[in-house]
Amino acid sequence: MSEIKVDTLTGKTTAKDITVTVGATATQSLEQGLAKAWVNFTGITTTASRDSLNVSSLTDLGTGQTTVTYTNVMNDANYTGSLYQNGNPGSAINNFSNDYAGGFGDRTASSYGIYAYSGTAVDAYHNDSTIFGDLA
Amino acid sequence: MAGKIIADTLEHSTAGSLDTQYVVNGSAKAWVNFNGTGTIAIRDSLSVSGLVDNNTGNYTVNYSSSMDNDDYSSTVSANASSGLFGTLQSEASMTTTATNISCYNGSISPADHAVVCLHTLGDLA
Repeated sequence: MSEIKVDTLTGKTTAKDITVTVGATATQSLEQGLAKAWVNFTGITTTASRDSLNVSSLTDLGTGQTTVTYTNVMNDANYTGSLYQNGNPGSAINNFSNDYAGGFGDRTASSYGIYAYSGTAVDAYHNDSTIFGDLA
Repeated sequence: MAGKIIADTLEHSTAGSLDTQYVVNGSAKAWVNFNGTGTIAIRDSLSVSGLVDNNTGNYTVNYSSSMDNDDYSSTVSANASSGLFGTLQSEASMTTTATNISCYNGSISPADHAVVCLHTLGDLA
């Protein structure tokens, strides 16, 4: 087994360009395949992050509405995100609203909005989102 | 000539170590942000060769590099907007070369969304 001990990986030709073999022969950009931000937070009572990557703050804009602000900003607003919310203030496995219809709100290079919805705006217990794209 | 390192583990001096299988298996193999209204168009993407507008709220995302099988994992999300309060659900039809997704409004009727995002993780061929 081989092991590399290193604090930083930097491309030789271009700083962020490191190629990784990810299939039998297929290769891919290491930087492009990595999540640039993710956060798991509660929207109940006091909106608070449970854990995160590259998220500096959460702003409670009202019932079911939260702005997630990046620590390191994205290159533009054209990044891609995936989102899960249970649309319910409960935490148990059966605390899922069939009316769940959350989604992303305004998206900029420095932040994105999250809306939790279940027939009407609701503060949800589970709010998970992941962002891929280009950092500035 | 570019250098090449073959390794099983990466270790940071203070932040711990990472088996490189997590780099390979944990990286997204494709992602896309596209406008699903009017003439659909990619805003930014990784390993996506094109989109097909099949019908209202129904799109096919074609991959540049094929997946190894159709057992990969895809997630879909969309922006909330007036009359379409983030009401996107995904009915993914997945092949090694493409993923089909469907978007709906709050009445569970097919609807185009201005911002549609797809993430795919799994094994490339």
